[in-house]
Amino acid sequence: MSYAELACTSSYSFLRGASSPSDYVAEGIRLGLTAIGIADRNSVSGVVRAWKALRDAPDEARSAFLAAKREAGELEKLTDAEDAACETHIRFLAGSRLVFSDGTPDIIAYPATRQGWGNLTRLLTVGNMRATKGSCILRFDDLLDHLGDLLLIAMTYSTADEQEAHKNPPVYPFKESANPVEPPSHLKLVSTAPQDWESVLRRLVSVHAGKVWLGISTHHRGKDKRQLARYRKAANAFDVSLIATNDPLYATRVQRPLHDIVTCIRMGTTIQKAGFALEANAERYIKTADEMGQLFHACPEALTETERFAAQINFDLEQLKYEYPHEAVPDGWTPDEWLAHLVWEAAYERYGAVIPEKIHKSIDTELAFIRTEKFAYYFLTVHDLVKFARDQKPPILCQGRGSAANSTVCFLLGVTSVDPLANTLLFSRFISSDRKEPPDIDVDFEHERREEVMQYIYRRYGRHRAAIAGTIIHYRPRSAVREVGKALGLTEDITTRMVSTVWGSFGSGPDERRLVEAGFDPDNPEIARLKSLSDQLLKFPRHLSQHVGGFILTENRLDETVPIHNGAMKDRNFIEWDKDDIDALGLMKVDVLALGMLTCIRKAYDLMREQGIGDYDLKVDIDSDDPNVYDMLCRGESLGVFQVESRAQMNMLPRMKPRSLYDLTIQVAIVRPGPIQGDMVHPYLRRRNGEEKVEYPSPAAPYPQDELKNVLGKTLGVPLFQEQAMNLAITAAEFSEADANRLRKAMATFRNVGGMEHFEIMMVEGMVRRGYERDFAQRCFGQIQGFGSYGFPESHALSFARLVYVSSWIKHYYPAIFAAALLNSQPMGFYAPAQIVRDAQENGVEVRPIDVNGSGWDNAIEQGALRLGMRQIEGFREVWAHAIVQQRPFASIEDLARRAVLPPSAVHLLADADAVRSLGFDRREGAWEARRTPSDELPLFAAANARELGEEADAMLPVMPLSEHVAADYQMTRLSLKGHPMQFLRGMFARESVLSCAEANKVKNGKQVRVAGVVLVRQRPGKGNAIFITIEDESGVTNILLWARLFDRQRRAVMASRLIIAEGEIQRSKEGVVHLMATNIIDRTEDLAQLSETHQTNVGKPKIDEFARPHAPRGSHPRDVRILPKSRDFH
Amino acid sequence: MRLVACDTEALALGLMPGTALADARARVPDLAVFGHDPAADMALLGWLADGCERYTPACMLDPPQSLLLDITGCEHLFGDETRLARDVRARLQRHGLSCRIALGATPDSAQAKAKYAARAISDLPVEALDGGDKVHKALRRAGLRSIGDLAIRPRKPLAARFGKSVVIRLARLLEEEDPRIIPRRSLPIIHVAQNFAEPISRTNDVLATIEMLAGRAALQLQERGQGGRRFEVRLFRSDGHVALLAIDTGGPTRDAALLMRLIRERIDALADPLDPGFGYDLIALEVPLAEVLANVQVGLETRVDTDAATAALIDRLSVRLGAQRVRQFHARQSHIPERAALERAAQSDAPKADWPKSAPDEPAMRPFRLFETPQPIEVTAGFPEGEPRSFRWRRHVHRVARVEGPERISPEWWRHARGYEPGNGSLTRDYYRVEDNEGRRFWLFRRGLYDEMERPLWYLHGIFA
Repeated sequence: MSYAELACTSSYSFLRGASSPSDYVAEGIRLGLTAIGIADRNSVSGVVRAWKALRDAPDEARSAFLAAKREAGELEKLTDAEDAACETHIRFLAGSRLVFSDGTPDIIAYPATRQGWGNLTRLLTVGNMRATKGSCILRFDDLLDHLGDLLLIAMTYSTADEQEAHKNPPVYPFKESANPVEPPSHLKLVSTAPQDWESVLRRLVSVHAGKVWLGISTHHRGKDKRQLARYRKAANAFDVSLIATNDPLYATRVQRPLHDIVTCIRMGTTIQKAGFALEANAERYIKTADEMGQLFHACPEALTETERFAAQINFDLEQLKYEYPHEAVPDGWTPDEWLAHLVWEAAYERYGAVIPEKIHKSIDTELAFIRTEKFAYYFLTVHDLVKFARDQKPPILCQGRGSAANSTVCFLLGVTSVDPLANTLLFSRFISSDRKEPPDIDVDFEHERREEVMQYIYRRYGRHRAAIAGTIIHYRPRSAVREVGKALGLTEDITTRMVSTVWGSFGSGPDERRLVEAGFDPDNPEIARLKSLSDQLLKFPRHLSQHVGGFILTENRLDETVPIHNGAMKDRNFIEWDKDDIDALGLMKVDVLALGMLTCIRKAYDLMREQGIGDYDLKVDIDSDDPNVYDMLCRGESLGVFQVESRAQMNMLPRMKPRSLYDLTIQVAIVRPGPIQGDMVHPYLRRRNGEEKVEYPSPAAPYPQDELKNVLGKTLGVPLFQEQAMNLAITAAEFSEADANRLRKAMATFRNVGGMEHFEIMMVEGMVRRGYERDFAQRCFGQIQGFGSYGFPESHALSFARLVYVSSWIKHYYPAIFAAALLNSQPMGFYAPAQIVRDAQENGVEVRPIDVNGSGWDNAIEQGALRLGMRQIEGFREVWAHAIVQQRPFASIEDLARRAVLPPSAVHLLADADAVRSLGFDRREGAWEARRTPSDELPLFAAANARELGEEADAMLPVMPLSEHVAADYQMTRLSLKGHPMQFLRGMFARESVLSCAEANKVKNGKQVRVAGVVLVRQRPGKGNAIFITIEDESGVTNILLWARLFDRQRRAVMASRLIIAEGEIQRSKEGVVHLMATNIIDRTEDLAQLSETHQTNVGKPKIDEFARPHAPRGSHPRDVRILPKSRDFH
Repeated sequence: MRLVACDTEALALGLMPGTALADARARVPDLAVFGHDPAADMALLGWLADGCERYTPACMLDPPQSLLLDITGCEHLFGDETRLARDVRARLQRHGLSCRIALGATPDSAQAKAKYAARAISDLPVEALDGGDKVHKALRRAGLRSIGDLAIRPRKPLAARFGKSVVIRLARLLEEEDPRIIPRRSLPIIHVAQNFAEPISRTNDVLATIEMLAGRAALQLQERGQGGRRFEVRLFRSDGHVALLAIDTGGPTRDAALLMRLIRERIDALADPLDPGFGYDLIALEVPLAEVLANVQVGLETRVDTDAATAALIDRLSVRLGAQRVRQFHARQSHIPERAALERAAQSDAPKADWPKSAPDEPAMRPFRLFETPQPIEVTAGFPEGEPRSFRWRRHVHRVARVEGPERISPEWWRHARGYEPGNGSLTRDYYRVEDNEGRRFWLFRRGLYDEMERPLWYLHGIFA
């Protein structure tokens, strides 16, 4: 007896199936089925994973076998029999379960050919286009339009639920679409006209005879025999064959509780209340041929039919031959010729008539390689995008990142900007023949103008050929615990407390120690159950979303390869396969990413052009060896500079003392959790500063002694980059190229999928075997694991290093322009406007306040000084600013409101921002005056062009104290040129013998101090052993470090305060970096209220009073509620 | 989610109303939180207002947390204003409530003084104007922080900037203008009565009187949009004895005819019959418990509402037999047979679920009679997991002629401590519908699959027809 299971519902039928596609495949292999088919609800998003799992199964089985043998101490070699046992004999079939919105019972569809696959994906696309993201509205008629080469199993019941229709379904130019997307009649579609399965079967058979089956299952519902008889009768009457399926919802019966939970989450109910929504029994797993034989002993032909069905399918996902778009090649050229033409032309232009030998050689090898692998279209397509961006007026800055920077061709095409002449590139890191994957080129564009590039792609290739890649959003520990807790009927209170025991988004679920800390008993059955089930739910796909910018482009219709969905954003569509699926199938992806710093640099270039400083472009290399620029960086003055502006980077700069672009490359890569967790930073620093001998651990005798010098020479024997990690594995642990590449893949995805343990054994043992010290091997692997989350490839760091240099260069030579460009590109980077402006002032820039008669929308340069723009005013609009610029100068507030046609709110904002001083009003008087300025002008006064408002007696408003001005400045513009909030509290703090930041930074090492300041940044990097807090006062900043064990006691003060006093010991490194090792943090946020003197109403009252001020809590000045910008926090 | 109210301890920890719950938890991880129930708050305030009628009839709710009392002319009853206030405080304290009391010449000033705990009106913050955040902010930004600051300035520029309503409110706060409060009055219980010059004693007369009273009560109920849940008829005998007839209904009603039927039932069911003695000289009807009952439009083709008919029957039976004695099975969503139904008092307010419907042309899946405890039987059956061939129940062997099944029902794993782990919790059941040689139909089940236990046991769980 043999059997093929054809109707598996996997976890990609979100919240319907309780096993992953690969679990189904593994179980199918274990049970010895002849074929296994994954058919998710109106989707094929899980099939690639299953297909890949089956493809990799023999290799994995072999590795596991070998590992087991190694454990047992046997010879690591498989006998022929064992090797044969690792082979799989199961077929994988990719299909989909069509769930209709018009009451038609479910139909499971499998493509018999490549054409059939195209029909299926087009059918699903039709349904997706009608619906909002995540829904799919299919009708029976749609199926009739797409029947070609589809094998259909008609089920007898519908599992439809509510789908949400798109309010305004996009009409893409899908050619020759038989069934155009029509607007829906109503928004929520539920089963309307239930059609019984018999009439559906009759209609299907009449148009699609021979390719329709009636799917039957027996789930021990008590009337199976009776039903089976009925189905047989119908099958005879319509002349269709019965086909058996167990319609599995999970791979093994063990997953029934998980399936019940998943059902509860989907229905938004609890397990106690779910009732009949849950299955009555645990029968919906994959059964063996024998078990199915018993169930269908009355109808064995239904079982053999599964074989016959599978035999008719001649489609495999491998057949999805991918073709790159042809647009980029002009008529009369072959793609290879055209690419060669472009590259050589660029080379001659750059290097002159004599191309350096090194370049010549690499162009030759790369072009030859591209020719054999047929990648020319791909390179040309990327070139086309970049060219479009560069040809815009003004051009959109762009730069390639990632491994593509290893390619000379990419450099010459203008995609990347790492000069192959000055750097040694590793083309094989980018693409190599043994990796059966397409190249991956990521290009960053200015974040404000990326949309133009995306729209260009849609215009050029059409919506039926271009779409964004999908991303599978998985359950993470927090969401899993929260949702499972809800489904188990635990109160919000308990689940929230449970969730709080999970720190961060990744890592495993709640660990026992933290559970105990939070007051839970891990042995409590309720808690154990919650933990067990949420652990199972972890890694489940939660919903489908779109990738940040990865475009899939095809020559032919994309919807014949994969279904397309409507994105949540208007005018976006995306496919339902993610990056891994695309890689596995060899589809092409171009990443169109957004980078804020490019916007900033472009804005700086614009300002420089305006000021007559010169015309710059990213393509023009600024010499990257100006010592003045490096001097600035060595002093740790990197505020606003790309990548190296974080507190950790600023501390590292004086230690690293970068003097070249490559030093910057290391600087960018070294301050990352990867190298930090791998404990690679300090060895590198010691070696760099000559405190430690540079040495390369070497293997035992027969192996080449300096093999590591070749791998790690550039970084003084310390592995810092991804490429080095891979090379290390290949050289020192004898990984094959394929193994190393799988290691790289595992590194990138292990947090979702796991599987690093396997590589750990392979690598560490491999190195030890070749005579390396175990400790060193372990450390190398530790670092590779760190890369998994946050590693940098060298080429990527190189690309970024250029931007570091360019931004530092602008900052050093044109600090005013740099500050203006930074402010104009907000939100971006680490620092708030106040810090940017302050930094500019410290660099000798004169900063002028916002004024209606001086400022535009953007921050600008005015006689070398920085003039703040109206964009700094929170809530102000660009159109108002433009109107003001056109109509000025103004004589009065009424004049301003009238001629610039401003609404009252705009005038109020200007007055509150103290931007009307040139009209003779300060903030307070201006606001008082603005209050009476009418919104619409009376026509009579307009005709007379006369003042409408009469003279009013002086209101004798009290003079606003400076401290309140500062508070108001912060409130309106998040910065103040008049002073720092702390200066008004200085007297009070001085009496408490609290030092200023500048004073604290000067005391000698080891001294106990108290420092106060407003909190700028709170960070808990990496493993979370320490919390970094940066505080600021009128004299400067102080960096505080608080160990996590102290943090737990002071959580409230650290998390909630805006103004703190930190007590602790000053630690001074020999490079002059100063930290305050805090032992105690005191929340003094309340003191900020003193800046605006009020409190008359509160005199003589207890400070805490439950009824007192329900409206304006704490200091009664409403502005004090947010006197300072929110600090940047972790989580 | 945000905090709506905090107790003193929470305030001392720096929490305050308006804080996001997540933020509050970040600061105080072991914070105890309760859901906000505005209705309960209102009910408490109403209850307090009822109590305050001891001081003055003119009492007004000022939600969410204050009461306005107009004590003009009442204070002397308690001595003076201060003593009255002391009395209020003492009484509230006894209920564990704290309060703040302020006296003012206008409701606005008293209320604002209490809210902001200010002694003098000029100390009040501008927020006391209640003019909205924008107005308050504008005033504060102009450096005008208190009502005192506003009082000394001309009103015209204020009106020009902030509108008339702010100026009016200012005048009220400054006690220049005194609006009256609208006292709250609770609706009295519906009470209708009929006096007789000559006592009546004939039962028919009594019933006719009650019917007339019921009609009058129904009219009043209709005006209020209510229906009664409890009706009390008091019969005052001329010799001073008072008889009470009380009726509860399952749902709100104002149908006089229905009421009369229930009253007749009640009279019939009395243990000692009504004894009119020398006759009744007063009959009164009260409706102490009433609920909202909307008016329903009656269609032209009125169909008999079966639910209403059942409800009426239940009411009649409950009046006669006692509410707890009339019981009904309610459907409950559970695959486990003994959990699928729940017996409850028929006159219950709990929401009712629908019974699962079986397909029209199929025999019943579940038996009409389910044994409270399944009865162990001995069965010969196919192996493994085969159908039963014969079984012995009560020393009688039944040969199975027809069998259908199994209907496999897995245990509800969440009811067992470790039920989510395979092999824990209770056993799976396989139910069979069975007909024996003599045409009797049974519902049997095998407890445990063969991979769950070696020798599963069989039980009889019910009988069909």
